Amino acid sequence: MTFVDSILYGFQVTFQPTNILFCAIGVLVGTLVGVLPGIGPAGAMALLLPATFKFSPTATLILLGGIYYGVQYGGSTTSILVNIPGEASSVITCLDGYQMARNGRAGPALGIAAWGSFIAGTIANIGLMLVALPLAHAALSFGPPEYFALMCAGLLIVTYLAQGSVLKAIMMALVGIILGSIGLDVITGLPRFTLGINELTDGVGIIPLVMGLFGISEILENLEGSLQTEIFKTRVKNLWPSFQDWMEAKWAILRGSLIGFVLGILPGGGAVISTFVAYAVEKKISKHPERFGTGAIEGVAAPESANNAAAGGSLIPLLSLGIPPNPIMAIFFSALIIHGVQPGPLLIKQHPDLFWGLVASLYLGNALLLVLNLPLIGMWVKVLEIPYRILFPLILLFCLIGAYSMNNVTFDLYVMLIFGLFGWIMRKFGYEGAPLVLAYVLGPMLENALRQSLLISQGSFTIFFTRPISAIALGFAFLLLLSNLFPYFKKRREQYERFKE
Amino acid sequence: MKTYDRISSFFWFLVSVVVFTESVRLGLGTLRNPGRGFLTFGASGLLGILSIALFLQASFRKEEKLEGSPLSHILWQRILSVLAALGLYSVLMPTLGYLISTFLLMTFLFWSLEKRWTGWILLSSFLSTILTYLVFSKWLNCQFPDGLFGF
Repeated sequence: MTFVDSILYGFQVTFQPTNILFCAIGVLVGTLVGVLPGIGPAGAMALLLPATFKFSPTATLILLGGIYYGVQYGGSTTSILVNIPGEASSVITCLDGYQMARNGRAGPALGIAAWGSFIAGTIANIGLMLVALPLAHAALSFGPPEYFALMCAGLLIVTYLAQGSVLKAIMMALVGIILGSIGLDVITGLPRFTLGINELTDGVGIIPLVMGLFGISEILENLEGSLQTEIFKTRVKNLWPSFQDWMEAKWAILRGSLIGFVLGILPGGGAVISTFVAYAVEKKISKHPERFGTGAIEGVAAPESANNAAAGGSLIPLLSLGIPPNPIMAIFFSALIIHGVQPGPLLIKQHPDLFWGLVASLYLGNALLLVLNLPLIGMWVKVLEIPYRILFPLILLFCLIGAYSMNNVTFDLYVMLIFGLFGWIMRKFGYEGAPLVLAYVLGPMLENALRQSLLISQGSFTIFFTRPISAIALGFAFLLLLSNLFPYFKKRREQYERFKE
Repeated sequence: MKTYDRISSFFWFLVSVVVFTESVRLGLGTLRNPGRGFLTFGASGLLGILSIALFLQASFRKEEKLEGSPLSHILWQRILSVLAALGLYSVLMPTLGYLISTFLLMTFLFWSLEKRWTGWILLSSFLSTILTYLVFSKWLNCQFPDGLFGF
């Protein structure tokens, strides 16, 4: 199949009625999740995953892709209109988006966010098609040492980009590796760390783990204080940005798209970091940096473009290498495994319907978000007016159902509650869940790669340094680790922290 | 945060010791043929070292200005009652079945958070139970337990 044939084939797959329906459900659920606090994209995906068992892997991936895109969009709507970021990736949009709304320019802010997301999503899709194929081809020559080194580097980048202490983030990654080793040892087939509990023979389920760490702990945090919410009412008009707005925002959209795409590919980059970087770059190169924070349209366009582009970019390492770069992609990874599809370099060749169908569905998802959501903005704001004291019991119930319906065992409910409590306490103590989840997913693969590498090299660790790709990846990881000691980077990190505050 | 870092570092040190010991018991194998405790041996060892580093870092760090404890100003009663209700729900669901246990859970959650009149709470609990049952059990084919009463 030629490149054009493949794209046409992808659209043929996507335009099957079931897949269109899944894409529409995905973007709507994603937008709803983006609007609501308490349940993030990982939780929403985990909740809907059991419901996809009787559908094809392609339909499942299209649904998850729709949710991921929808979340980025939904988060921006509430950030602009009510100064409440539904998701972490929309926090930075509050700075200028909400100010634009207060200045009576909510319409152009929402419009540029939507169009920026659409353009960025399209650029990321093109990038995904151009990069994933050659990367998958190159990855066919990768052996266990290369995979081990890439995963180590990935985990270290995740911990480096963590929002809090790097030391604590590395500790969480190590805890994730230990948790991932619970269950049967892949090579010997013998159990380990199961504490004599039969249900742990298959390991700790990712769905209850994610639901607990991101869903239950978030709800508990919200339950700590007052459940009163104040909504700033604003009128939305002129959703189409003016010519002047376009002129001011065009480069911000393009730069945001590129930054988001590149950071999305990097492990740990994802949507959140890319928004901060895109905003910082815009402010840095702007001729009028003082306008930022007072309602500059570039301050909305850049991060909103970046988070959508990052969503597309982060699919590349998953689909071409089989390495999930962030917790959301870890859910994608689990979904593929559950459906019997092994992510990795052979995925595109063995499951072209899945890859090209997903790529085409991302186009469709972007278009649906634009067409469906701009007219529905009023409805999303109404959703925010539902009091938390009604919303939270419902979200808790959804989490319980999601955790239970995966295997239909109550043990998963206990696991979810334990990780919910654990996640909540860890938040209080300044630990993050993302490195843990990623290491939990990568742990078994990392172990396999390490043991296979040592078998190949007959016990010599030099195998990791004599092969160019693994040597470069490990060298990069080592330098990254060292960089924490350099005052320059420390200073930059402090600046970033201050900026974030 | 200084004290909390020390407490958490101590906790992780204990975890690392337990995992480390168990890894050795499971068998480390050799470098040519690593055993099932090999990776966790390394991971727990590193976790132990880093927890000591965190403890030392926290101990030698200057005490920040009084920021207040991260665990103060928390409505403990609400958090604990919600957690207890969720735990009880997990225990009782196989016996009572999805419909009854979910209705009871939702009634409690709405009652503890909403404090509205009883009729509203009961109606909301009933609707949320029935709707989730219809969507997840009937439409999406999730297998909820029937419980003692057969529903």
